[in-house]
Amino acid sequence: MREADLYARWLDVGVRLALAALVLGFGLYVFGVLEALVPPQELLRFWHLPAEHYVAATGAPTGWRWLAMLAKGDYLNFVGIALLAGITLACYARIIPPLAARGERLQAALAAAQLLVLVAALSGVLA
Amino acid sequence: MDWWVWPIALFAVTFAMGIVAVLAGVGGGVLFVPIVSAFFPFHLDFVRAGGLLIALTSALSAAPSLLASGLASLRLAMPLALAGSVTSILGALVGLALPTDVVQIALGLTILGIALLMWRIGRSEHPHVTPDALGQALGMHGVYHDPALGRDVHWQVRRTPAAFVAFAGIGVLAGMFGLGAGWANVPAFNLLMGAPLKLSVGTSGLLLSVVDTSAAWIYLNRGAVLPMIVVPSLIGVILGAKVGARLLRVASASLIRRVVLAVLVVAGGRALLKGLGL
Repeated sequence: MREADLYARWLDVGVRLALAALVLGFGLYVFGVLEALVPPQELLRFWHLPAEHYVAATGAPTGWRWLAMLAKGDYLNFVGIALLAGITLACYARIIPPLAARGERLQAALAAAQLLVLVAALSGVLA
Repeated sequence: MDWWVWPIALFAVTFAMGIVAVLAGVGGGVLFVPIVSAFFPFHLDFVRAGGLLIALTSALSAAPSLLASGLASLRLAMPLALAGSVTSILGALVGLALPTDVVQIALGLTILGIALLMWRIGRSEHPHVTPDALGQALGMHGVYHDPALGRDVHWQVRRTPAAFVAFAGIGVLAGMFGLGAGWANVPAFNLLMGAPLKLSVGTSGLLLSVVDTSAAWIYLNRGAVLPMIVVPSLIGVILGAKVGARLLRVASASLIRRVVLAVLVVAGGRALLKGLGL
């Protein structure tokens, strides 16, 4: 299979999963099925603040600390958001082995370098 | 005002944005940030993060079919996306560090610049290209089937070093302002590098998905993402784009494009005035 087809297939599945997770998570959040860290009716008081002040005022998590808050309706949504923002990494990781196996070293190196940049962004060390 | 009014208003506005974006041939992200920051009560940090995620999702949704048909090229996107993603991270970090009024002013000027670019710039279906050494070395050439022409189109690129500089600059703007960058990617691929227009449009989305992913993680890690803004907007833009695609055959593209330009001028002007405290 061409690397473009592999990339496309992983992307397609990833986007569908992410959107399904977002719709489900948002429903549980806005209809109050799950308790939220910042309930929707209180969000009005905070969303005009810069992100830094919002975090300080609400105790909202930064970095990957949202993973410990998945029982909260608002942070359950981060599963879908992280999936959306993570699909590209998975796609790049998937195409490196076939590129390397075909001897396309430059393309494999470019994909590996891109993967490193994305991992650096995702890890939180740069933020 | 009750809290639930805002996500419903966001959904309605982004639904309309999704329709207009398809008809005008622009990405939803470039409309989202200026309009929502101008007319909604959310802080610009959350709006920029929302803009990135909307542009990212639109690009990701379209990429599989474009890749499968050969109208988006990984070989063309990969080297330039690497430059753009590094600079988009820098742009996001700078944007989050600068005072809000400075970012507002810069955003206003950028939006007005985009409107000017969209108004003035031309396009070339199949530019004549003498390939450069760097583009050849990076494997930036290929072939795709154009159903409209009924034949295969061979493509190659020129001015690759200049393109790296251009995409690095585009990355900064995308990360700093949360704008999808199709407005800049397409002319850079098409007019600067000489890639065919259809390939430029298709590859623009693929490149945008990589560049915006990098910047989006910076906003996510800083706690600048609010699901209450992101989710209704994403759903609105996606559904609007589906309706827009159906209306494409009957709507007047040039009229819609003029409306988009007018909206960008108003929203850009408002962002500028807001930043200046006027």
